[in-house]
Amino acid sequence: MRSIRFLEIIIPVIVCLHIHCCVTEGAEPSVDFSRDVLPILSDRCFHCHGPDPGNREADLRLDQRASSIEDRGDYAAIQPGNAAKSEIIRRILSEDESELMPPADSHKKKLTADEVDILRRWINSGAKWGKHWAFEKPKKAEISNEGIHPVDYFIQRKLNSEGLSLSAKAAKHTLVRRLSFDLTGLPPTPEVVQQFVESDADDSILELTNQLLQSQHYGERMAMWWLDVARYADTDGYQGDRTRTNWPWRDWVVNSFNKNQPYDQFTKEQFAGDLMPDATEEQKLATCFHRNHMTNGEGGRDPEESRIDYVIDRVSTTGTVWLGLTLGCAQCHSHKFDPISQNDFYSLNAFFNSIDEDGKAGGGAKPYLSYQSKLSARAVEEAQQLVDLRKPLEELAKKKAEAQFEPWLSEQIKKTSEDYQGWLPLLAEKLESTDGTVLTQIEDGTIIASGPNPRQDDYLMSAKPNTKRITGFKLEIFPHESHTDGKLSRGSDGEFVLTNVKLQLRKEGVSQFKDIEFSGAIADVEIKGKNSQYGKVRETLDDDPRKGWTTQGHDATVPHMAIFALAEPLYLAEDEHIVFVMFHRSTIGDGNIGRYRLSFANQPGDAVRSLSETPLDQLAAATTEMVEDVDPKLRALLLKQFLSDHAAYQNQKGIYDRANKQLSEVKKAAGKKNVMVLAERNDPRKTHVLVRGVWDKKGEEVGPEVPAAILDWPAEETKTRLELANWIVSKENPLPARVMVNHLWQMYFGAGIVRTPEDFGLQGERPTHPELLDWLAVELMEHDWDIQHIIRLIVTSNTYQQSSVVSEQLIELDPENKLFARGARFRLPSWMLRDAALQSSGLLNPALGGPTVRPYQPPGIWKEMFMGAFNYQPSEGPAQYRRTLYAFWRRASAPTFLFDSAQRRVCQVQVMRTNTPLHALTLLNDHTMLESAKSLAIKSVQASPSDKARIQLIYQRVVSRNASPNELEVLMRELARFQKYYKSNQEDATTLLQIGQPELLLDIKKLDDAKISQIASFMMLSSMILNLDEAITHE
Amino acid sequence: MSNSTNKQNARQPESMLDITRRHFLSQSAGVSLGAMALGLLESGTASAQQPEVAKQPIGLPALPHFAAKAKQVIFLTQSGGPSQIELFDEKPGLEKWAGKELPDEIRQGQRLTTMTKNQKQLVMPARTKFEKCGQSGATIGEWMPHLKKVVDDLCFVKSMTTDQINHAPAMTKYLTGHQIPGRPSLGGWVSYGLGSENRNLPDYLVMISKMKRPSDQPLYDHYWGSGFLPTRYQGVKLRSSKEPVLYLRDPDGLPRPVRRGMLDGISELNQMRFEETGDPEITTRIRQYEMAWRMQSSIPELNDLSDEPESTFELYGPDSRRPGSYAANCIMARRMVERGVRFTQLFHPDWDHHSRLSSWCVARCRDTDQASAALIIDLKQRGLLDDTLVLWGGEFGRGVAGQGEWDSPDGGRDHHPRCFTMWMAGGGIKPGITYGATDDFSYNVAENPVHVRDLHATILHLLGIDHQRLTHRYQGLDFRLTGVEPARVVKDILA
Repeated sequence: MRSIRFLEIIIPVIVCLHIHCCVTEGAEPSVDFSRDVLPILSDRCFHCHGPDPGNREADLRLDQRASSIEDRGDYAAIQPGNAAKSEIIRRILSEDESELMPPADSHKKKLTADEVDILRRWINSGAKWGKHWAFEKPKKAEISNEGIHPVDYFIQRKLNSEGLSLSAKAAKHTLVRRLSFDLTGLPPTPEVVQQFVESDADDSILELTNQLLQSQHYGERMAMWWLDVARYADTDGYQGDRTRTNWPWRDWVVNSFNKNQPYDQFTKEQFAGDLMPDATEEQKLATCFHRNHMTNGEGGRDPEESRIDYVIDRVSTTGTVWLGLTLGCAQCHSHKFDPISQNDFYSLNAFFNSIDEDGKAGGGAKPYLSYQSKLSARAVEEAQQLVDLRKPLEELAKKKAEAQFEPWLSEQIKKTSEDYQGWLPLLAEKLESTDGTVLTQIEDGTIIASGPNPRQDDYLMSAKPNTKRITGFKLEIFPHESHTDGKLSRGSDGEFVLTNVKLQLRKEGVSQFKDIEFSGAIADVEIKGKNSQYGKVRETLDDDPRKGWTTQGHDATVPHMAIFALAEPLYLAEDEHIVFVMFHRSTIGDGNIGRYRLSFANQPGDAVRSLSETPLDQLAAATTEMVEDVDPKLRALLLKQFLSDHAAYQNQKGIYDRANKQLSEVKKAAGKKNVMVLAERNDPRKTHVLVRGVWDKKGEEVGPEVPAAILDWPAEETKTRLELANWIVSKENPLPARVMVNHLWQMYFGAGIVRTPEDFGLQGERPTHPELLDWLAVELMEHDWDIQHIIRLIVTSNTYQQSSVVSEQLIELDPENKLFARGARFRLPSWMLRDAALQSSGLLNPALGGPTVRPYQPPGIWKEMFMGAFNYQPSEGPAQYRRTLYAFWRRASAPTFLFDSAQRRVCQVQVMRTNTPLHALTLLNDHTMLESAKSLAIKSVQASPSDKARIQLIYQRVVSRNASPNELEVLMRELARFQKYYKSNQEDATTLLQIGQPELLLDIKKLDDAKISQIASFMMLSSMILNLDEAITHE
Repeated sequence: MSNSTNKQNARQPESMLDITRRHFLSQSAGVSLGAMALGLLESGTASAQQPEVAKQPIGLPALPHFAAKAKQVIFLTQSGGPSQIELFDEKPGLEKWAGKELPDEIRQGQRLTTMTKNQKQLVMPARTKFEKCGQSGATIGEWMPHLKKVVDDLCFVKSMTTDQINHAPAMTKYLTGHQIPGRPSLGGWVSYGLGSENRNLPDYLVMISKMKRPSDQPLYDHYWGSGFLPTRYQGVKLRSSKEPVLYLRDPDGLPRPVRRGMLDGISELNQMRFEETGDPEITTRIRQYEMAWRMQSSIPELNDLSDEPESTFELYGPDSRRPGSYAANCIMARRMVERGVRFTQLFHPDWDHHSRLSSWCVARCRDTDQASAALIIDLKQRGLLDDTLVLWGGEFGRGVAGQGEWDSPDGGRDHHPRCFTMWMAGGGIKPGITYGATDDFSYNVAENPVHVRDLHATILHLLGIDHQRLTHRYQGLDFRLTGVEPARVVKDILA
């Protein structure tokens, strides 16, 4: 048996699929330059003998006929009609290592005998030259067979030549599910499935297609693809990763697809909406496409370098998305394989070089369009409704809590009647310093520094306070006559600088400790200086010794005080100790505290957030005996204190506060927002070729021009971005229609007709079905770039409708399905998996557009990446259940629940599809998946008393069919196991059901134990079904 | 084009290998993989009941190209650009130049960041005193007292150089070979080429020190990304939290045996689906779910330091007691090496000391010095250092001119790409040497420059990989870590 590596291995399998589609006659098949010869020359020769002059050896180019056959003294590289006399054949076959081509040190593979034979026959038959296929204009091949679907014609013809035929049609429930995912990115509802399965109309597939194309979800599905292509994100990327508000452009994309805007118009508006006659606001908005690149606001970065990066990014993106060419290769040198020179590249840059931008990021990334989205009002209303829903619950919880206030108060009166102290001195078990100061504690808790006085020192105090809970610490710093000038320290000026404060929790017998977080710190006096000066006590809470607390400038002969509040109350177990660490690590040093006292409190809220006496201390001082006699002001303080310590109320208040916070955020988003767009500056910039692609190494000046090798247009017709767009989507341009239909094909078959969608150039893969690709491309142009027309054409073919069941023979013959002799079976993109879970569980909020939302992510994701600078708060209420398209996309940390997805840093059109344990963990434990499982459980339990019927309901909703008897048997067995467990472990059942939005829990709270364990069991069963291969696969 | 096997690999669907396994699976899967796993996999003896799964790693078939000197790598990445002038590269002559303008013949038109391009370039001598240490006599600044104890195990390269002057592009270059994000990381390439030695842990693990200060340089996940390689080769970030790997933790209320039962159900139903559809991808999926189950115990086991004796924490220093600290992560790195993790990468942020060097830089030295040295000692005494390549360094160095007032305590240093120092140890590296040198200002490389791509070529070489032959075809080009410009293996530092 073979060993298996951790995340699966790849084993090379040489796949011999004949991609020749021309039927040839005679003993020797004819050689086609573009199909047979050019790939060999490109792969083995062009690197040194190709279009790039910078890399050219022996002054020989083999990408052009003239130079190849040129008389080079007594020989020519290629002697048409005479392979034996052609130098290249001699060199390829040479046994002399110094002569052999390609040379060994190029690490290029030797030519195979077959390849040599091709070259030989080609030369012997006259060395006829041609263009690379993708640079020839596509033509429709004649379809000899009338009445046949054009897609099927080309696919079938090739299958015939392989002795194969199309597979049988897929089952109807599979088909409706496939089509629904392909066109809308969502699974069909059980009703749609039933309708389709029961319909026997001939054109039911067409009808369903039309229905799906009319759904608003069609535009969303297409937009998700386009956003990946457009490297769209909601932040800048790079340092700071500032938020931008370009999401109205995302809605423009959805809308364009939904109104089936022709692809040429779609293109022109995104390139040059602003330059169109009487440009509308929407057309200007469209140009955000070319501003979706990352922007770098790193301090120290030259903005001009950034600006040039952006221009280059636009050209590379244009190349990949519309032309299927790796134009970016020509940034540093002329393309080594494709006929794109470095001049061509910078001539394209010239179109984008005079945007009224200055390379800045963050809020300075002009030009902007100030835009107010019409789709925000709905979001505001939704957020308002959630606030309204949660408000009475908060009020109720408050009332309940307040009812407990007076008994508590009377208890406190008793407690504080004698000898109460809100702050108790911390008594040390052990006092240590790292650099030599001797620390001694005296009776009142004061600690005295003596002995050596090092430049810097850390003071550590271990203690086991006699309390179950700690909420904060008070640090008092005392002057003393033994200090310099009777001030606060033994340093030369008697002042102190405290740079950091830390609290550790240690457990006996455990080597590691826990870091306890502070939420804030206040002091009686501090210096409110400039950023980098020592002063603020708050700055003792970071790990930065350049900042910290000092009272310099204030009276140093009186005590000073700081209070540090814990982020969460710390509950101490019997065997736990605390260590309070004070760092004196300032730049100059010489400011170690001379005398201090630490005290702790056990009351939260104002007790540890204010310098005045704690409310309970005030109560003690007031010596009130009756609840009624408590001073109203103090009573209010005490109530506040009481509520801040009331867990049930705080929980409900948190839920309410989050809704309010969301409302205010959405309201902000509903106003006018700056969207980054294109606009020309008044004074155009000069464009230069950049030597080796380096931003400030300017070479020859160039003007806007299009690459002639693709389609030659005169310079006077290609001056502006609009003219560039016209050129791109000209029907004479051989590339964009092909590239577009290939994108569409890839969406529905998991792989394109050209398997390298980003590269139609010489180094890309050749189309598996060139005539089909061309036929579809011409069809797209003939139908005025009607995208939906092509989609309809593809999905109504028998090729599309085939079953994806595959035999062992076929998979061995054609593992990658390059012949399309079966339907495509592949794992759905991860964003669809999230959307599908929401849809099948009934949670999906189908609203269209508007401000971004934040689906669940594990806590702390942004926080740890940005060391606390950003915090991710998942959306609340229905906003949580929006489609993934609307999820906020932080470039530095893409949504964690997505895998194999585009990274949205640079344009990406190739799909990633891997199969790893991390994906399994995501689908098992992501909150969206779990909450969907819970929702499915609630739905099924409510729908029927029969377990079988419940299972079928879940199965139908998730995989669009009924479970077979065999499957049902397994499902019933597993259900029984879950039921057995959760019946006898009610607590676990209740805990499990805590997942998700509080609203979904409302009903559960009213349920009895039996129902709860039942729902928990069905939740696990649903989670299981959501994880089935079939559930996550395009079949 | 160099390697057609790679090209094949790139296009090969993952499931291909499963065709040949169908027979095995159709026989064994019915016996409930889960039941087997429940009993045995939990205890970490995964190979016991699957003897056919050999222990040797599976990478690309042609690899290694030659015998490897190092099997594993620990890369201690110091993000922000540690100052070679204070830490390693002693220049006694600088005192004479204190406060004087850096001569033009030294600066040679070096580009500056916008932070200092409008100020005079006045020389600021090192803020530390140096000591010659060990038999090798390497010079170490006083802020790293612990490192002095292991200098004879280290190889210092003082002539590192890069061509990027800002953090993100420089770090991207340092870790992926190119300044623009999108290429696979060094660890990703290694994992792609060589595969793993441990079936229960990822090939490539990443840890970031937990710090309180908001970092000025976020650590983007493309630093350990897989670029255009399949995503399974990207580094898996171990977080310092209850959930060290994202989604590793089952929800509360779902105990392990119940989860096990559920996975059995999934396997069984998936197996039925496989028999119906014939798609080998399903059998891969079955195994990935089993692997996920195993990771749910292997990762917490790796992460749980309670089985380490007190002496470990004493060796690595007080901060190693704080989970998530650099020092604790160094202990973790050693545990990963013990478990056969191919590539371990630590990131310690905040070395970007534009001001107050003598407090700020000291703080980062205190975070890292003892633990870095301890890691060398620990690996050595366990006999692991010979097979483990340890690297320490950041994305660039710092300039000799002061930023701010050269003679004020507030002074710091700006970025400097032309030279910086790295140290390496173990895994085929010659110990106790210093390689390369800078000029009298620690400004230009004076001898034996080592470009970042030379470093990459050397690391790959130590792992038995010819950097010119580890390629992957993407967008019609065969990419490699070291890029198109010539890169050399630094033979002089090899043992």
